[in-house]
Amino acid sequence: MHGKFDDLGRFADPSLLILTSLSDGPKHGYAIMTDVAGFSGVRMEPGTLYGALSRLERRGWVRPLATDERRRPYEITAAGQEILAEQVTTMQQIVRVARLRTAMAWGA
Amino acid sequence: MRPGLAGRLSRFLVGCHPRRWRERYGEEMLDVLDQHQATARTVASLWASAVSAQLDPAYRTDRLSLSRLRRAALIAAAITAPLALVLAPFGYQVWQDSYWHPAADEPLETAAFSPHTDIMVTAFGEAIDGTDMVWDVTDLSRPRRLSQFEGGQPVALSPDGRIVATIAYDGQTALWDVANPRHPVKMTTLSDGDGAKLEELAFSPDGRILATARYDKIFLWDMASPARPRLLRTLGAPVTYPAGDGPIPFSQRDLAFSPGGSILASATGTDQVTLWNVADPAHASRVATLGGAGDFIQAFAFSPRGNLLAAVTYHGTVLVYNLADPARPVRTVTVRGLLSRALYPSGSPQPTETPLCATCQPASYAVAFTPDGHTLTVVVDREEMSANSGRDTIFDWPVTASGTLGTVTAAARDVADFQPVIAPGDHTVLGSPPGSHAWHAWPLP
Repeated sequence: MHGKFDDLGRFADPSLLILTSLSDGPKHGYAIMTDVAGFSGVRMEPGTLYGALSRLERRGWVRPLATDERRRPYEITAAGQEILAEQVTTMQQIVRVARLRTAMAWGA
Repeated sequence: MRPGLAGRLSRFLVGCHPRRWRERYGEEMLDVLDQHQATARTVASLWASAVSAQLDPAYRTDRLSLSRLRRAALIAAAITAPLALVLAPFGYQVWQDSYWHPAADEPLETAAFSPHTDIMVTAFGEAIDGTDMVWDVTDLSRPRRLSQFEGGQPVALSPDGRIVATIAYDGQTALWDVANPRHPVKMTTLSDGDGAKLEELAFSPDGRILATARYDKIFLWDMASPARPRLLRTLGAPVTYPAGDGPIPFSQRDLAFSPGGSILASATGTDQVTLWNVADPAHASRVATLGGAGDFIQAFAFSPRGNLLAAVTYHGTVLVYNLADPARPVRTVTVRGLLSRALYPSGSPQPTETPLCATCQPASYAVAFTPDGHTLTVVVDREEMSANSGRDTIFDWPVTASGTLGTVTAAARDVADFQPVIAPGDHTVLGSPPGSHAWHAWPLP
């Protein structure tokens, strides 16, 4: 079920935000939107959210839970945690290089 | 976009997703929409989501059936209709522009009309690479382009609409057969034996004479056999300057036959209009000189009865002459400061005069009488001298039979940004609009 994260295309960035949001516990759609807006400032639209959610679900990185009336919470899977950790490592590497290079450029 | 409309559109777009997608995500998506303030961004994201879900093979497993096809058609229509609605005004504009602007990539320079046909010939751009076009102007507001040829400019159209004269690349007159206006054919090139560049041409009202003019000479051609015109007479046109001005920095030119055809008026690089008796063209001679302008003549026009001649000068002075006795013309009117009025319609500031500039021209002018002869119209197109470049000012005066003018009415509007042309009869101005090398026709007020 593991696909490469980059295969998500234009949904790669929203997916990263959704996985991050779900990593501290299951949330339903609107809760994900408000949480993401809270920690990243990104105002995700429903079309983008569900476009990304459906792809994450198909890859087995998130799993739908039983609906609570109309709301369906989603939970991150072990595979999802793995891919998130991978992505975070890559990003940390980018951040490290960027810090180093900008510090050199600015002479700090 | 209004929130209510965005909300309704968003809910509608949820319904535009494939059935299997809706069964799985529809309810929760609607729940999110209930809590979310829908905006144009929401609509756009749902539109994109619906399109990509429809294209997603994972949701395309429904059995193919007529009802599903009908539904797909409906959905396709629902998705494309907003797009079509948004794009329609642009499309309409492009269509309109292509209808109104099917011209050259250079501005309109001159337009020639014929009194007996619905043909107009326009010339665009500089003489060196001029493009000419033949139009059907049965309805001048809806011109139809019939053909195009590289003839140069300016242009003159014979009264029967069958011959176009242009000043070609080599500076000599070229005659084109436009009897079939869709297929202009070059007939011949006239050589006056001088080789200097011609600047203006005009057909006599009966079409028998073609007058061509250079800076200091006028040539009269017998057009009895258009394929082989015969040079009848060469007239030495006087070259005169306003006091204090040296040789002319630009080619000033105008040449016109009186409506009766017995008088030819010329102002080919002078501060005066010369009247020639061309009743017998082989023995044409100077009749009189209309002086007193104190400024280069830019354009002039005969009244429909031929008893008046109105001229406009480089700095915007309008002169009217009574030609009841062509040998003794009488100046009846001098109106100064037209350019100042065009530049500063509110009256301030009041520059005494725009200085003559060696590299720029303060304005372009068109002058015409209405077909009934009761109104004199002068169009002043202010060029780059003014911040309001691209505005034309249209001056209208009531004219009496003796040649005096009543109270002027002035109207300013975005008409042209180049040489304006007044179409005879229709009381319409043609010109290239600002920023565009095309042309439009505007009815005058």
